[in-house]
Amino acid sequence: MSRPKTLVAAVAAAVALTASSACSGSAKKINGGGSDGNVYTSIDANNPITAGAPMNPFNASPNTFLGYDQMQLGFDKKNPADPNDFFPGLAASWTATDTGLTVQLQPNAKWSDGTPVTLADIKTSVAVAYTQGLAGPSAATANPSAGSLEVSGVKDLGGGKIEFDEQPGVKNLYFTRLALSLTIVSDKVYGSQVPADVWTTIAAAQGPDANAAKAAITKLTTEGKALAAFAPAKDVSAGPFVIDHIDPGSAVMNRNPYFYDVKKIAPKQVVVRHFTGNEQIWSYMKAGELDSAPFTAMPTNVLNQVLGAGYTRMDSVSFVGASIAFNEKVAPFDKTAVRQALAYVIDRDAVTKVGEPVGGVPNAATTGLIKAQSDTFLSADQSAALNPYKPDPAKAGALLQGAGFKKDSSGQWHLPDGSAWKITLQAVNGFSDWISASAVIANELTGFGIPTTAAVTTDFATYKKEMGAGKYAFGWWLVALGPQTDKAYNRLYGSDDGFVYTNGQITHNDSGWEHTPETYAVNGQTVATGPLTAQLSVTPVADQKPIIAQLAAATNQELPVIQIWDYTRVQFTLNKRFTNFPKTGDEALLANPPGVWMMQGYVQNK
Amino acid sequence: MTGFGRRLAGKLAMGLVMVWAVATFTFFLVRALPGNPGDVQYENYILMGMSPGQAQARVNAVYGFTSHEPLPRQYGGYLWQLAQGNLGQSTSYSGVPVAHIIGSALPWTVIPVLSGLIVSFLIGVAAGVVAAVKRSSRWGGLLSLSGSVVAGVPTFVVALLLLLVFHTEWHLLPFGGTSDYEAGWNAPYVGSVIEHAVLPVCTYALLSYGGWLLAMKSSVISVLGDDFILAAELRGITPVTRARYIGRNAILPLFTVLALSFGLMFGGSIFIENTFDYPGLGSLLLKAIGTRDYTLMSGAFLLITVAVIAANILADLCYTLIDPRVRR
Repeated sequence: MSRPKTLVAAVAAAVALTASSACSGSAKKINGGGSDGNVYTSIDANNPITAGAPMNPFNASPNTFLGYDQMQLGFDKKNPADPNDFFPGLAASWTATDTGLTVQLQPNAKWSDGTPVTLADIKTSVAVAYTQGLAGPSAATANPSAGSLEVSGVKDLGGGKIEFDEQPGVKNLYFTRLALSLTIVSDKVYGSQVPADVWTTIAAAQGPDANAAKAAITKLTTEGKALAAFAPAKDVSAGPFVIDHIDPGSAVMNRNPYFYDVKKIAPKQVVVRHFTGNEQIWSYMKAGELDSAPFTAMPTNVLNQVLGAGYTRMDSVSFVGASIAFNEKVAPFDKTAVRQALAYVIDRDAVTKVGEPVGGVPNAATTGLIKAQSDTFLSADQSAALNPYKPDPAKAGALLQGAGFKKDSSGQWHLPDGSAWKITLQAVNGFSDWISASAVIANELTGFGIPTTAAVTTDFATYKKEMGAGKYAFGWWLVALGPQTDKAYNRLYGSDDGFVYTNGQITHNDSGWEHTPETYAVNGQTVATGPLTAQLSVTPVADQKPIIAQLAAATNQELPVIQIWDYTRVQFTLNKRFTNFPKTGDEALLANPPGVWMMQGYVQNK
Repeated sequence: MTGFGRRLAGKLAMGLVMVWAVATFTFFLVRALPGNPGDVQYENYILMGMSPGQAQARVNAVYGFTSHEPLPRQYGGYLWQLAQGNLGQSTSYSGVPVAHIIGSALPWTVIPVLSGLIVSFLIGVAAGVVAAVKRSSRWGGLLSLSGSVVAGVPTFVVALLLLLVFHTEWHLLPFGGTSDYEAGWNAPYVGSVIEHAVLPVCTYALLSYGGWLLAMKSSVISVLGDDFILAAELRGITPVTRARYIGRNAILPLFTVLALSFGLMFGGSIFIENTFDYPGLGSLLLKAIGTRDYTLMSGAFLLITVAVIAANILADLCYTLIDPRVRR
């Protein structure tokens, strides 16, 4: 056979093989893309999906999906008045006791292989949490008084009742919250990954011998590495869905027939799509391909296009705010009057309108909390006494003059030493809302007579490192991370401000980057911000009001940051293939992923 | 050893030295980047409601794969592992082998970029020959203009335009992911993969077409002026033979560029993958840089380097076959 003929024969054989293979396989459609009412399509904002990543919730980039195939005992309602307020998950009910927590498992709780959820699964899940820094002394090392999940044992009380024993001598106000938030995994899958002596190691980590405890924590962390890299061959889920397979563009989950409340789950299948950024999520929405979409910061024109595609907008509280933080070691930001003057110059309404027009509400008054949370803790009088720093250039000018600043004939402000005052406002590449808002603030400050440059750092890793190194005097920062008030204030008066725990005592040093004073004088009282913040973590929510009143007043007066806007959690649903979605106002539901909505009976076929 | 064998051995030795040099450079370069792998995730954990202590403990656990040994020792370990074909463990995927992560993304870069490259090369070269031969005609001018215009348009403009027209407005082609069917060797899956690849491939092909066209046109014009063409024409050769003479000689300079392009395609096309939500190596590399996943970054860079060097060696060796002058 001549060479060309050989080639032709080889190609023909390959084509024939391809054709016969093509006809022999069965095709299973996965991405409904709007054609099948039983396929629910969404995006998990915390998980963009990588084809090679393991179906292991303890991996740093896992292919598991909270509320769908990744289950907890309960799901956080994000209730600022009660951080232990949860939706039932694998736990049907629970009771906090003096020694820990008693949980009643769902009567029909089963894994997707049909076997029941047992004590062994719960015990393995707690042990895994210890190896992953999610529980135990390793989690509390930096701040013992903040308290981590200190479980000394898990017992079967019979009848599906399980008792979590809190380590003797430890009283964590949020023990219930932390226990209910545990990811529950199958002992059959993960049991082999946990060393047989893990509970002995945990006991040693909780023991009185400091050296033995340290060695035990190191051992747990080392064991945790192998567990985090573990790739189960298949998904075994106790949630409403179980992963069928992961492909590069999506994760496909089938309804779990053994789910304890499967009659409430309408979709036969959930497809979670891959995304690389906000723009991809918007494109999916513009084409009507997602049944629900997570919050993405979006400009008004995109919002209009999304609404035009038939989506319904749902707003709920997001416990996070955008602010501009000061490094008070850098003059003139060490002066309270200067920070207050800048607050009077910045028009937060105008800035929010440009920076976060859809997902932001201009901050009402800097307190260290978002308004929805401060309203829960402050009385009407206390809220009224806060300075809202409404735009007032005259007041700003008076404050600066009082601090020794001078304005020249061209309208530019000069520092007390006579040099011209220039500011650089730092934002981060990729944070489009901050970058847009920076331009407005720079214009406002420049117009007021303080030439301001809006600068951008290449990425967040660099930003954090350089901020920590004191490189930025004036830059964007997320604050008011709730709903736990101690965590919100820790953002201002924690390690970034040099408050550290040594032998259970809080001390203040120069290690942070904020460099605020250790105490403030407010209304004739001394407010010790760091210790008060630490006190919040051991004070029941019902008794926190006096502490928060002090911290809010001090923060409002001294302005370690200027809060610009409170974020709103804006989500979208499409009432085309499914109906009965949560609505604006269903705060607790909207704080959770759609899988939790389904567990509560929401999302039905249309 | 034959002359070809000696050349091959020499090229391979040189290639190994280049791989070592690039591996060394990238090893130190990625570690010189500010920030560390745990920083970004620490903030995410804080935003997810963990206390600073918990977040730090979690970071220590899942990012424990970051080596804290002195840099020279890390470097020695890296080279030793590399010599055994081990690219290391990813930090942003908590210890999953880098080769596994890269291997999962690799096909979804090779499929669109290779297809785009071949399509653009074939069309660009053919159009380049026409544009050169008919350079005085309206068609020649139009072809040259089309090459200049598309070569100057930014990637994201073409990508967004195609996305807007063919997906958002006309709903003709899918967007995002690689297929609507479960992976398998069957017609619907293969068809869906092709359908999903159309927009990325067209974008790549459109963007590269101009470059090939202009390069080929310039090369053909240069060959057209050569004496041997004039001599052949005087001998009365047929137009087909003349075209073959011109094509074979004009394509030589493009051959090296094509070979290098085959190597460079492993770097993916970040803009195209990003715009079409196509999960290839470009997106993976971008994530690795953002999360400071040193081992994944080194692995991806090394793959690109090895591919370019291998393509270069292959081009050199093939060149000796297709151009007898080089053998002398």
